[in-house]
Amino acid sequence: MTEAPPRTAGPGPAATGPRLVGTSVPRKEDLALLTGTARFIDDIRLPGMVHATILRSTVAHARVRSIDTAPARAVPGVLDVLAGAELVGKVKPWGDLMQDLLVGDHFPFATDKVLYEGQELAAVVAGTRYQALDGCEAVAVDLEELPAVVDPEQALRPDAPLVQERIVYEFGEGNVFDRYRVRVGDFAAAERDAAVVVRQRFTTNKQAGAALDPHGCVASHDPFTGVLTLWSSTQSVYMVRDVLADVLQIPRTKVRVMVPEVGAGFGSKAQMFGHEVIAALFSMRLGRPVKLVLRRDEIFRAGTTRNSQVRYAELAMAADGEITGYRDYVVHNTGAMSVWGNQVVHIGTNVGMLPYPIPNVHVDSDIVHTTTAPGGPLRGFGIPQTVWAKEQLVDMAARELGLDPLAVRERNVVDPATFPYRTPMGQVIDSTSIKQCLTACAEAIDWAAKRAAPVPHEGLGLAVSMKYTSCRHPSLDTDLSAVRLRLETDGTVTIYSSDVSHGQSHATMLSQIVADGLGVGIEKVTLAPPDSMTAPFGLGTYASRGAAVLGTACRLATERLRDKVLAIAAHVLEVGPGDLDTGNDRVFVKGLPDSGIYLEILAATAAYRTHQLPPDFEPTLETVATYDTPTEREASDGSGNLSVTYSGAAHAAHVRVDPETGRVTVVDYAMVHDTGTVINPLVVEGQHQGGFLMGMGMALSEDYVYDENGHQLNASFKDYLAVTAPEVPELTRMSEIPAPSTTIPGGQKGAGESGTGPVPAAIGNAVLDATGIRFTALPITPQRMLTALREKERRGVETLRYPDDMPDFTGPRCPDEWPSPTAAEADDFDFDFDFDLDPEEGA
Amino acid sequence: MRAFTWLEPGTTTDAVALLREHAPGARLIAGGQSLLLAMKDRTAGPTHLVSLAGVEGLAGVRTADDGSLVVGAATTYTALTRLDATALGGWHGVLGAVAGDLADRPVRNRGTVGGSLCTGDPRYDVPVLAAGVDATLRITGAGGDREVPATGFAQGPGLVALRPDEVLTALVLPPRPRWDAVAFEKFRHRVFDAAIVSVTCALRAGADGVAEARLTVGGATPAPTPVPGAAARLVGPLPDPDAVAAAADAAAEEVLPGGATAGEAVRYRHELVRTLVRRAVTRAAADLRRS
Repeated sequence: MTEAPPRTAGPGPAATGPRLVGTSVPRKEDLALLTGTARFIDDIRLPGMVHATILRSTVAHARVRSIDTAPARAVPGVLDVLAGAELVGKVKPWGDLMQDLLVGDHFPFATDKVLYEGQELAAVVAGTRYQALDGCEAVAVDLEELPAVVDPEQALRPDAPLVQERIVYEFGEGNVFDRYRVRVGDFAAAERDAAVVVRQRFTTNKQAGAALDPHGCVASHDPFTGVLTLWSSTQSVYMVRDVLADVLQIPRTKVRVMVPEVGAGFGSKAQMFGHEVIAALFSMRLGRPVKLVLRRDEIFRAGTTRNSQVRYAELAMAADGEITGYRDYVVHNTGAMSVWGNQVVHIGTNVGMLPYPIPNVHVDSDIVHTTTAPGGPLRGFGIPQTVWAKEQLVDMAARELGLDPLAVRERNVVDPATFPYRTPMGQVIDSTSIKQCLTACAEAIDWAAKRAAPVPHEGLGLAVSMKYTSCRHPSLDTDLSAVRLRLETDGTVTIYSSDVSHGQSHATMLSQIVADGLGVGIEKVTLAPPDSMTAPFGLGTYASRGAAVLGTACRLATERLRDKVLAIAAHVLEVGPGDLDTGNDRVFVKGLPDSGIYLEILAATAAYRTHQLPPDFEPTLETVATYDTPTEREASDGSGNLSVTYSGAAHAAHVRVDPETGRVTVVDYAMVHDTGTVINPLVVEGQHQGGFLMGMGMALSEDYVYDENGHQLNASFKDYLAVTAPEVPELTRMSEIPAPSTTIPGGQKGAGESGTGPVPAAIGNAVLDATGIRFTALPITPQRMLTALREKERRGVETLRYPDDMPDFTGPRCPDEWPSPTAAEADDFDFDFDFDLDPEEGA
Repeated sequence: MRAFTWLEPGTTTDAVALLREHAPGARLIAGGQSLLLAMKDRTAGPTHLVSLAGVEGLAGVRTADDGSLVVGAATTYTALTRLDATALGGWHGVLGAVAGDLADRPVRNRGTVGGSLCTGDPRYDVPVLAAGVDATLRITGAGGDREVPATGFAQGPGLVALRPDEVLTALVLPPRPRWDAVAFEKFRHRVFDAAIVSVTCALRAGADGVAEARLTVGGATPAPTPVPGAAARLVGPLPDPDAVAAAADAAAEEVLPGGATAGEAVRYRHELVRTLVRRAVTRAAADLRRS
């Protein structure tokens, strides 16, 4: 079984005992974390282990003349050295997510060309890390530097340096890696009939995941069994195993991936990286365990980043405030290479239209290569970028029409009479409380009273978004997670899952589900460490899929295990299974919760007293269940229901701007969310707080600063301005208005990313309210703020758009002046097929 | 990091001898809060580290007979924050305040006044305060002892007027009567970040207001920069807000000429100089008015 029939939320099978789902059970993870006994990747030490480091390019774009590794071999302690040329034809390039490696743009090392600063040139393994570093320094590198291209719009110009030379893309010559378009409704008609059309060019920043736990791995190849074991700090066991085995061209039975404690990923560890191949190769060549943990500057330069975008966005609004259309041309910077980058613009745009059921949507996107760090997924997956543009346009249109931004949003957010409701973009909203969230959030920030009595240099801003809960990505026709449960012979339960917990509290959350479903004490339930040798296949932990998708698989496996336990008990007690219930670690006859048989006895019966089992009973007390969401693939017009359900977020920011230094302080911040049925409020609250924090960094401080040569100037935590605790407001105005999902059996919705989506836009709108300046670029640094304030004074204007409309632009642009998609004519595409999008489908 | 030899002299004379013996690869290390980071990055690779931790008399603060404050180069920031008003009286207390409001706690626990001065980082606070109050630096070396003004000691990022075989032994703040009010202001992104711009304003009272003023700007230029032209505008009656603003504008123009129309980064620093000079002067003048 791969898909559960939709069912309504209701009480689980266990009818007695306190239910743990819905309560703030203290996290099982915390003891090890707080006492320092949790083991992260750099804590792993194996007998005979040696250390590898990677020599990375210090220039962004260059032709490789030669890389001579011979001098490194002479360095004391050096055991082996690798560079690109010798691997050509021996390891397979990769570039897609799991299977069908269509785009072979990734290779362990640069061979003919360097495409970004930090790309791997060679690697050295030695007895100590320092010897390996010495070895790297001895490698003789001869590069012919080429012009860099940092700006994604520059990359589109016909005279731009070509980044990927060897790969012939669908769209011909040039740096366009992929194109994307949405054609829903008729934007031209919406534009014609609108009371106002607001337009603005917006840009967004490249943001780092900045997980404190570094990327890294330990590879250990056993020459006798031929099994390569890889411990890695990753978000996905099977993505790493399957791609690694394919790259090395060895059977998947010979690759075992295990994951220690992971100190967060945020999307930045959701793929296989070159260092994992390099460590594996060294271990296979030496027959010794090899550790390769990246330094912070390596993670900045060669990890994945939030894709930066340039958006030429337009929004059409009727006189009554109804949003009638949205058009956008997005130049999406996916860096020099990317396995996930193009997916970000697809899903970020599709879901980014929510929570408005906009009838006419017209989007084109050029997904381009630049000589910068690879783009990829990062908390929010394209939605914060879309919402940054769209939610500011909503405010701009409301102001032009003299309407209250709150009232305009209340008028437009999806609030159907009946569920499920299919939006024009194709999303099937199975439940939502987004309108109530919006109202509650405005009340929490005291919207009406504060706006009636404005304070100089202070302002309020609103933004709303919805976030997908798991997702069928355009290049992954699967949305699968699985759980295997085993009732051990002492009545304890082990959960096996390959979906890595990197902050999502799986050990607690899944144990709550099992404890409720099986009537077993939560202290008896354990989550096994992720291990491809023992855990069933699942996609991994990203896309806010843990609670809903993995949680559902866990729930189904629990129900199956309960059925088996009841069957044994019914046989022993000579009653029907329907007369039995579970709770307090036992199975008992309904109404007699103080009697019954302990799970321990039943489990031991299955193992050691098989004569007492029912006839034809399969003795194993292991059950497996999978859950694959009932989601759709993207249609040719860009529409589709890509997510199983949608969580809602309504945010209100209160900011203060220091007109003398330009510092923007978030004085207060209200967040009201619809996360459906919350399994553990403590965990979900923490997810929202963390999500806000990353959104705040995107809004106010974080960015990859490159010089014109593609050299990153802030590749350290000293210079990269990640948000820290002192800058964060008291996040006390947080609440949930649960609208349980009707598709997910337990009613859960994704929690991990909904805190991020609205933040930059809410802060941007508040900054406008405080200063009269509409920021069109992220982040809104003190430098940009103060420069804009002075410019506004100099020109004596009430409002200013900065920096995009500097210095001469004053009114809305004519869309004719805006660039068109360059790589091919937008409407030239012949799609081979056309989905019939019946609006009733899925209803 | 590369391999190095750790040396622990007991006196400055021994330290100087070791620096000479192991030149050119030897480096002094005090708290190591800048050097160790550079060594980890392999942007610095000394063959020998001469530790000042065991050098007698290099850490600690005392008031000399003439009333000047002698701050041993190996005195940590944290040690300065623990001194009370008898040890750091009057405007000398600004040093304790500055030491308590930079970097983060681990850095303050290990980092030293001498390290701050000798690293030559234009964004560090202590050099801007030292130059701002017209302090002097005591240096010992093979050629004997010398004293130099703190102003001019830093010569650019990473560059200070210290020879490879010399040791900075003390920062000497002038006696308290030298100034009647000192204010230090800075702006940084996060609480533990180095300042983007910092300003020291020192005022000496006269019969009818300000007899002498000294303004020093850090961060905006490669080394702490005095702005005597702007400071001269403050001499006379206690400045009113307009006079303060005029001095601030003049200071910005003196440090970064044409900055108001330069690129965004320079323009921003130009603005910050205005803001911080205004704040520092306003605060110092208020102190003066009270005293």
